[in-house]
Amino acid sequence: MIEEKKHKVKDIFVDGPIDPAFVGTSIAKHATRMDIGAHEIFLGQVRADIAVDGNRTSTVKAIEYSTYRDMALERMTAIREEAFTKWPSMTCLHVYHSIGLVPAGRLCFMVFASAPHRMAAREAVAWVVDQVKKELPIFGKEVLDDSTHVWKRNE
Amino acid sequence: MEVQLFGIIAEKAGATSIAIEAGSLSELRSVLRHRIPDFAKLSHAIAVDRCIVQDDRELTGSEEIAVLPPFAGG
Repeated sequence: MIEEKKHKVKDIFVDGPIDPAFVGTSIAKHATRMDIGAHEIFLGQVRADIAVDGNRTSTVKAIEYSTYRDMALERMTAIREEAFTKWPSMTCLHVYHSIGLVPAGRLCFMVFASAPHRMAAREAVAWVVDQVKKELPIFGKEVLDDSTHVWKRNE
Repeated sequence: MEVQLFGIIAEKAGATSIAIEAGSLSELRSVLRHRIPDFAKLSHAIAVDRCIVQDDRELTGSEEIAVLPPFAGG
C-alpha cells in the first residue's frame, strides 16, 4: 500500500479521446483492494460550444490539445503530493488527460480517486480537477465546423 | 537560448521554438514583441525552468524558457 502512495512522475497524457471502456477497466482494477469503500470519478467531455464572431456563428467540432509536457508532469506530481497530504486516507489517485484531437462528445479528462470512505475521495477529486485546469500548461485549439479555429482558455 | 512556444503564441510565431539572446526576462519580452506578431496583445506567462516567473530576473542562457498562453486543460 505504501508503494502506491510514492509520487514518482507519471505520464498522464493519452493520445486522442479517453475510451469509456478504459474507465470501466480502471474501476475493475481496484476489485482486489479490500480497504477501499468509495470511488469518485470526474470525466470531462468536449462540448460542442457555439462560437460567435460578429454575425457569424459556428460550432466546436473538436478540441486539439497540446501541452508543455515536462512542466505539466512536474506540476501534476506536485498536485498529487499535495492531494495526498490534504486527504491522507486516500488510497489512490489516477489522472488522465487527452493530447491531440478529441471530437465533441468524447472524453478528454479523467480524475479518479479511491478511499476507505466517500468524503476524502469526493473532496480530492473536486480539488484535483480545479488544480489541473488552473495549473497544468495544457492548450486547446477549438476546431470549428467552418474550418476555422479559436483558442480555448479556462476562466 | 532556445525559447519554447506553445498554442496561439507558436501559431503567431509560425514556430514551436525561437532562438533568442537575452540577458534578462525584460529583454526577452522586448525581443518577443519584435519577433512575434501581436505579441503585446497576447495573454501569456513565461516559465523559467518549468516555473512561472512574474518579476524581471537575469538570465544566464542555460535556463529552460517557455512562453505559455492561457491554459485550457479539462
